[in-house]
Amino acid sequence: MTPPAGSLLSAEALRKAYGPTLALDGAEFSIHPGEVVAVMGPSGSGKSTLLHCLAGIVTPDSGTITYNGRELSAMSDAQRSALRRSDFGFVFQFGQLVPELTCVENVALPLRLNGTPRKEAERTALTWMERLEVDDLRKKRPGEVSGGQGQRVAVARSLVTNPRVLFADEPTGALDSLNGERVMELLTDAARSTNAAVVLVTHEARVAAYSDREIVVRDGKSRDMERIV
Amino acid sequence: MSVRQWAADLMLGVRFAFTGGREGWTRAVLTAVGVGLGVALLLLTTAIPSALSVRHEREAARSDITFASDPMPKANDTLVIARLDDYFREDDLRGRALEPEGPRAPLPPGVDKFPAVGEMVVSPALKELLESDSGALLRERLPDRIVGTIAEDGLIGSAELAYYRGAEGLAEQISQGRVERIDRFGDPEPGEEDSDPVLLLLVLVVFVVLLMPVAVFIAAAVRFGGERRDRRLAALRLVGSDSRMTRRIAAGEALAGAVLGLVFGAAFFMVGRQLAGSAEVFRISVFPSYLNPSPLLALLVAVAVPAAAVLVTLFALRGVVIEPLGVVRAGRPARRRLWWRLILPLAGLAMLYPMIGNGRENGDFNQYLVTGGVVLLLVGVTALLPWVVESVVARLGSGGVAWQLAVRRLQLSSGTAARMVNGIAVAVAGAIALQMLFAGVDDDYTKSTGQDVSRAQMEAQLPSGVPMAPAAEKFRDTRGVRAVYAFSEGYLGDRARDPEHGTMITVGDCASLREVSELPSCTDGDVFAVHGAEWDTGEDMSKLAAPGRKLYSDPTYEGGPTKQAVPWTVPQGIKTAKARPGLVAGTDRGGFLITPGALPDTLGPTLDGHAYLKVDESVADVQDLVRNTAAAIDPLADTVTWAETERTDRFDAIRTGLFVGAACVLALIGASLLVSQLEQLRERKKLLSALVAFGTRRRTLSLSVLWQTAIPILLGLLLSMAVGLTLGTVLLKMTSTPVRVDWTGVLSMTGIGAAVVLVVTLCSLPPLLRLMRPEGLRTE
Repeated sequence: MTPPAGSLLSAEALRKAYGPTLALDGAEFSIHPGEVVAVMGPSGSGKSTLLHCLAGIVTPDSGTITYNGRELSAMSDAQRSALRRSDFGFVFQFGQLVPELTCVENVALPLRLNGTPRKEAERTALTWMERLEVDDLRKKRPGEVSGGQGQRVAVARSLVTNPRVLFADEPTGALDSLNGERVMELLTDAARSTNAAVVLVTHEARVAAYSDREIVVRDGKSRDMERIV
Repeated sequence: MSVRQWAADLMLGVRFAFTGGREGWTRAVLTAVGVGLGVALLLLTTAIPSALSVRHEREAARSDITFASDPMPKANDTLVIARLDDYFREDDLRGRALEPEGPRAPLPPGVDKFPAVGEMVVSPALKELLESDSGALLRERLPDRIVGTIAEDGLIGSAELAYYRGAEGLAEQISQGRVERIDRFGDPEPGEEDSDPVLLLLVLVVFVVLLMPVAVFIAAAVRFGGERRDRRLAALRLVGSDSRMTRRIAAGEALAGAVLGLVFGAAFFMVGRQLAGSAEVFRISVFPSYLNPSPLLALLVAVAVPAAAVLVTLFALRGVVIEPLGVVRAGRPARRRLWWRLILPLAGLAMLYPMIGNGRENGDFNQYLVTGGVVLLLVGVTALLPWVVESVVARLGSGGVAWQLAVRRLQLSSGTAARMVNGIAVAVAGAIALQMLFAGVDDDYTKSTGQDVSRAQMEAQLPSGVPMAPAAEKFRDTRGVRAVYAFSEGYLGDRARDPEHGTMITVGDCASLREVSELPSCTDGDVFAVHGAEWDTGEDMSKLAAPGRKLYSDPTYEGGPTKQAVPWTVPQGIKTAKARPGLVAGTDRGGFLITPGALPDTLGPTLDGHAYLKVDESVADVQDLVRNTAAAIDPLADTVTWAETERTDRFDAIRTGLFVGAACVLALIGASLLVSQLEQLRERKKLLSALVAFGTRRRTLSLSVLWQTAIPILLGLLLSMAVGLTLGTVLLKMTSTPVRVDWTGVLSMTGIGAAVVLVVTLCSLPPLLRLMRPEGLRTE
């Protein structure tokens, strides 16, 4: 099978089981550069597993994932790690900031992992923190900031390497609606400004409203709502 | 606040410890295993005095030394016993030959029937050895038929090699020194050995040094899983419990872990007690029944450990602000203060100061001041280390990502890191101090034997009357023996009773005699008078060596047994020889040297045989081959393996105790380090997975874990060196011994400490790699 024309990242016939539990059962997915796609579905439907497979974190049992013309499953673990460092960004539900590092050090971390010198990395990090309106937190540690602020720091961290694909797994799941909306505005604005594709896993329609397209996952199978419409 | 409410809160905590699902159980079991290991070691320590005392009692009960100057007359309740103590390879072999002289002869403890001639009763360990392939060599020496085993009350350890064999004709050899007539077993004058203050000091310090890390370990064990517990407490705050209630609930949780730990500890102790019966450590073995903890000390352990667990938990919660919103915010901890941390070691030094210069002559050291002083100095390490780690890591700059992750983690929670290495630091500080003390007083307890191991490596002493020439031949024919210098020795007096002048007589061939003196020329039939030997006066020899003078071999002395002195006349043509340095320093051989051709037959039975052997130590079991030959020549023959130095038994026992204890403590600390390392990693499972998800190399994270351990351990070892050297100096000054630093010892102790940490870090890498799998995000 060939990926949909012009797609940056696509998946076909993905199957993934954890023991007797079938998490993905023939799921399909595609996303274009600059596009925001919401992956929706109830808890346990397989949407996070789909995200992990697309990001090369988890290897599917079968099916193909193609990123920018390259087959992900043909890559070694080290190659996939390198790809995640250079081309992908991540935002998780609870931020998963490193509690020992200050906020600016957290944001600079992906750049430093790519070999950027510390000062230069922190300079770039600060630019992103300004864009996400958290530059005043640069010297604070994650434990000293609120949930919404921490999540914005996490978004800054995900964008600091100018990723081509941003994976966001329930990015507002731990926030109140006001903070959640602000985080989504900043995230989607920033992504669009860099032409990054966003894979947004959520079960909230309010959050999905920020996307260009929705894919619903249920019992491990995906359904592209745009195609149905 | 009612007691009921307190109890309810504590019970809630106890329930949380066991009802938190798999993770709750894991945490409770980890804590309990940690506490249990500590408790088992504490119980073992409290049982050691009783074990040593039982060993001492059993040894005294089977004692067969009479200290009588006159031999006991034969009766129907007497027994003639010959001591045949020996070695097999490196192990002591306790042997006795028994010849009952009447129906009421005393049976040795643990033996229910006398073995007949050609039979023997052996210890279970010796039986096993003799029946195994590795005991084949010993079987040649002990060919008697085994007719029974010695029961536990006749042995001082489960691995002791001991036997009683039947014999006859022993009574004729009672004058030989190794043979006695007795009418009962048991030490006739039991009593406490005089305590040497320096040895007492060593014992006290060894105990404190070994127990301190155990206490530190228990303190660390009750903090396992602290972060997860804090999150649970936060949830409780959300549903309405106040901060005091949460602390009581936390105390209940700790109490549950500690009490379960007590149960585990008792179980570990019982298992260890049984295993102790089949183990031998540094040549000491015990029977399980010996290991009975003192009830009072066991009770103290049972009360103190749970109490300490609760106190440590409450202490740990001091700096944690638990808020109801499901978030535990450890407020930025206040900087640690140095002043009170310094008070501890300084108070320790102050307690030890009054005893400086006491030395051995001025009597005992105050046990309480010594123990208190050493404890405070070592506790000082645990108090100072968090401050040192915090102060140093606060000044560390950024480096690579791994370094930055480690340093930042240490800056945020230096206490956790310090606690992890506290046990090692205390153990190393104590070990360095002890090493200095041992090295300092070593000379006092190690004396030179004077044995010239370059000229001979073994000596065999044969009883009177054993013909020397055929015995020497048998030794020469023994595999691995390169040369034999054989002598028959005795004493000549100028009178048959109470001689005024006397000297030695040595019989040997020319080659052997040349080994002990400078002979002008020598042929068989020659007799020499040696002048100028260290132990002879020239006056004596000039009087005694006059040709034609009658002398008496084996004279009788006032108060001693009556002997049949044999006359010998100094021959005409006696030659003069010069003494050579003796095979044993200070024992230059003087008196008369006689070649076998000049020895009258009557003199032979009055002389004892000595053979000095040069052996090829590359030949396997060469010492045992020689011992077998000696036993074949005469069962009462005694062999000695030469060494340049020997140490007093008690000094060796304390040193051995330290090594045994240190091995146990280091294993315990290593286990605790590993458990707490894994616990910390498990707490950070999701974060590790997230870091890997956005591409962090596994090498970076592994290196960061290594730095996280290496930095505090380096600081801990530096601090423990400083404290150890200070404590060692003070202890040496207390014993009035010149202060000398044995840097090899210090560095090796430090190296061992570092090696334990390195091994633990390496052991924690495979689980770390597993935890870093991106699948860890699944629970997101």
